[in-house]
Amino acid sequence: MSIIKKLALVIVSLSLVAVSSVSSAKPFSPKKPVELIIPAGQGGGADEIARLVQGVIEKNDYASKPVIPINKAGGSGGEAMTYVKKKAGDEHTLIITLNNVLTTPVNQPELGIDFFNDFTPLARLITDTFLVWIATEGKNTAGVETFDDFIDLARGNGLVMGGTGSMSEDELLLGMMRGQFGFDAKYVPYSGGGAVAKGLVGGESDFTLNNPSEQMGFYQSGDSKALVMMTPERNPAFPEVPSSYELGYPDLEYYMMRAFMAPAGIDAEVEKYYTGLLHTVYHDDEFQTFNIDDGKLMSWLEGFGLKDFLAIEYAKHGEIIKNFN
Amino acid sequence: MDVFILLLEGIFVSFQPLNLGLLIFGCLIGLFVGAMPGLGSVNGVAILIPITFIIPPTAAIIFLAAVYYGAMYGGAISSVMLGIPGASTAVATVFDGRPLAVKGEAMTALTAAAVGSFVGGTVSVILFTLFAPPLAEVALRFNAPETFALMVMAFATFVGLGGDDVPKTIFSILIGLALSTIGLDLITGKPRLIFFNIPGFLHGINFLVLAIGIYGIGEMLWTLEETKGKVQMSKLSVNMKEVGRAFGALKKTIMAMNIGSFLGFFVGILPAAGATPASLMSYGITKQLSKNSKEFGSGVPAGVVAPECANNSASTGSMLPMLTLGIPGSPTTAILLGGMILWGLTPGPLLFTQEPEFVWGLIGSLYIANFFTLVLNIALIPAFLMVLRIPFAILAPVIFVLCVTGGYAPTQSLHDVWLMLLFGFAGYILRKLDYPVAPAVLSIVLGPLAEKALRQSLILSDGSMGIFFDMAEKPIAAIIMYIAIVLLIMPAFGPLYRKFFKKAQTT
Repeated sequence: MSIIKKLALVIVSLSLVAVSSVSSAKPFSPKKPVELIIPAGQGGGADEIARLVQGVIEKNDYASKPVIPINKAGGSGGEAMTYVKKKAGDEHTLIITLNNVLTTPVNQPELGIDFFNDFTPLARLITDTFLVWIATEGKNTAGVETFDDFIDLARGNGLVMGGTGSMSEDELLLGMMRGQFGFDAKYVPYSGGGAVAKGLVGGESDFTLNNPSEQMGFYQSGDSKALVMMTPERNPAFPEVPSSYELGYPDLEYYMMRAFMAPAGIDAEVEKYYTGLLHTVYHDDEFQTFNIDDGKLMSWLEGFGLKDFLAIEYAKHGEIIKNFN
Repeated sequence: MDVFILLLEGIFVSFQPLNLGLLIFGCLIGLFVGAMPGLGSVNGVAILIPITFIIPPTAAIIFLAAVYYGAMYGGAISSVMLGIPGASTAVATVFDGRPLAVKGEAMTALTAAAVGSFVGGTVSVILFTLFAPPLAEVALRFNAPETFALMVMAFATFVGLGGDDVPKTIFSILIGLALSTIGLDLITGKPRLIFFNIPGFLHGINFLVLAIGIYGIGEMLWTLEETKGKVQMSKLSVNMKEVGRAFGALKKTIMAMNIGSFLGFFVGILPAAGATPASLMSYGITKQLSKNSKEFGSGVPAGVVAPECANNSASTGSMLPMLTLGIPGSPTTAILLGGMILWGLTPGPLLFTQEPEFVWGLIGSLYIANFFTLVLNIALIPAFLMVLRIPFAILAPVIFVLCVTGGYAPTQSLHDVWLMLLFGFAGYILRKLDYPVAPAVLSIVLGPLAEKALRQSLILSDGSMGIFFDMAEKPIAAIIMYIAIVLLIMPAFGPLYRKFFKKAQTT
């Protein structure tokens, strides 16, 4: 092969590369580390999922740049939401949701957060369930075997409920149950689900409305028991606990959503990239196993389905808050 | 005897090559994150969690516990050498560690910190080994009223912290308490004292921002004014005589070691307190009980030993509620707890029986980690001392940069950097006016804990303060409360009492 031929080959191949890179619109991939904002403190449920997602991405090299979880717990998620709102158009910021993203914009109108226009919803990965827990040896709940026993007791006596903080999911849920069953309870806020579980077993509170993972240790040791799970069906992680539908209370249904959103004003390409990345994480074996063992529901939702879901949940929470106050 | 067999197995587990390597590596990382202002054990452990997905859980917890542990040692280094608390747990170490370094006794301060940490760590891991299950029961019974009583006791010891000028001390405590209420109301969830609607106030005033401002920036300004930048810390030589002197000084710190170890461990096992309050309380109580309490703050080794001993002791103690109850005893264990769940373990009462290798491997590794960090620290002292050979004109800008990064790192917001600078100037002015600043720093740490416990208790008792003095229903809370009142009255009336007593004698 002559030198000229070689040169020609090089030129042709180079130009081919050039053409191909121009013609196929380059798919988005992050150019710097991606901030994953957690609107809650370290060690909580949202934090746990965020770090699991980070770990799964890192371990399997699902993304070209690392994901960095950052906790902004202030103001019931208000600080995190304000931060993401200001990042409109930023392609390297994500936020994981608790239900506080649905309540804080309503409870704190002074923040000026518009839930439907300040964020780009990407996907919902998980929904967490809630149960009614009592201590096995609770002094005020002795003799309570079923959820109906519990309601009878709660109607007559002012029970103490341990919860995760004012206007958090479990206090809203208490407000919902107050309307449905006509009982009230004294709400004592703790810092985080773990402390709530400890307060129950330590005898300071009479019942809690904790997520499964938060009470798991004491459930397995037999120190606390669940009376009802607020879902249509039983959960394999808690086979003996009846669902609210089974007991004839289909209105008693409530979930915590673990979804991811990006700031408003990002390109469709960017949206597609992150949704795809989350989809890969969702189908990762480790991710699936961890969440199912933990009693969580795997519930992928994206696109219009997700938008509808958020709109319904937003309205539902608005209603709960209105009745609550 | 069972315990010893399990412990030996645990130590054996931590001597496996992977575990031992990770342990030493973890201690080194811990030393570094502890020594870097703004990077504490919380950040260190949080950053490293994803790495642990690729190793077995036991290796992972040994690694992260070593980081946690090393950070407790490392925090003292920058507290002593630069006067900037390297981590929140080392703030109390500045009180006496820095004056010692300025006096040319940095060697003594660093030795006291290392040995104090070792003693605290060892005592607490022994307590942990022998009494874990009954202590878990204590932690379980320690609820809101008991926590508030303990906080009142801590505040009572602070009153003695600022010397004899009780009104100025109380003023300083109140400033700290007022700052600690900024942010989210703990009970109603509503924003509180959000000045000018600046969103940065929503996460409250981070305690490190105040501590770094007052001690880092304030101290730097003070030194610059005093010396016009000409100061070079002190003549330094590392020889056997110095080393002997440093160890000799430890003889006077035995009481501080006792208080630090036991108090630290006890505060550590209580949910949600952790190493920072433990070290501050240990300093306060040691000072109160010491014969030469007036010298505290001007550079006494016991003032370094007390907090350093307590923070290591508490960090071990705080693993107890984490393992047995599934609740974090400190912010760092909150992250470790998240890690355990991710590794597929369920923290709780059954962990000791279901995962003995994990639990005893961790406990065993704490013994080894203690030993290695002590050796590392003593060996590295000459290297740390090099810092003091740098002229202050060069050191000052370095300190400034470290302070700014330290203020920025915990929340990653510039808002906190500005606040930190503001506190620096305020601290400098307070110091010129002879106000004690330590009580303000202490009360911003304990303020939120106390407020939460108080309000939880009052919800439970329908607003009656009687819940804290009910000997029949809540004996622990009542006893602590009475001790607190005695502690509070002692220093407040001590000077008055002496005054009258002397008068009575002379007349």
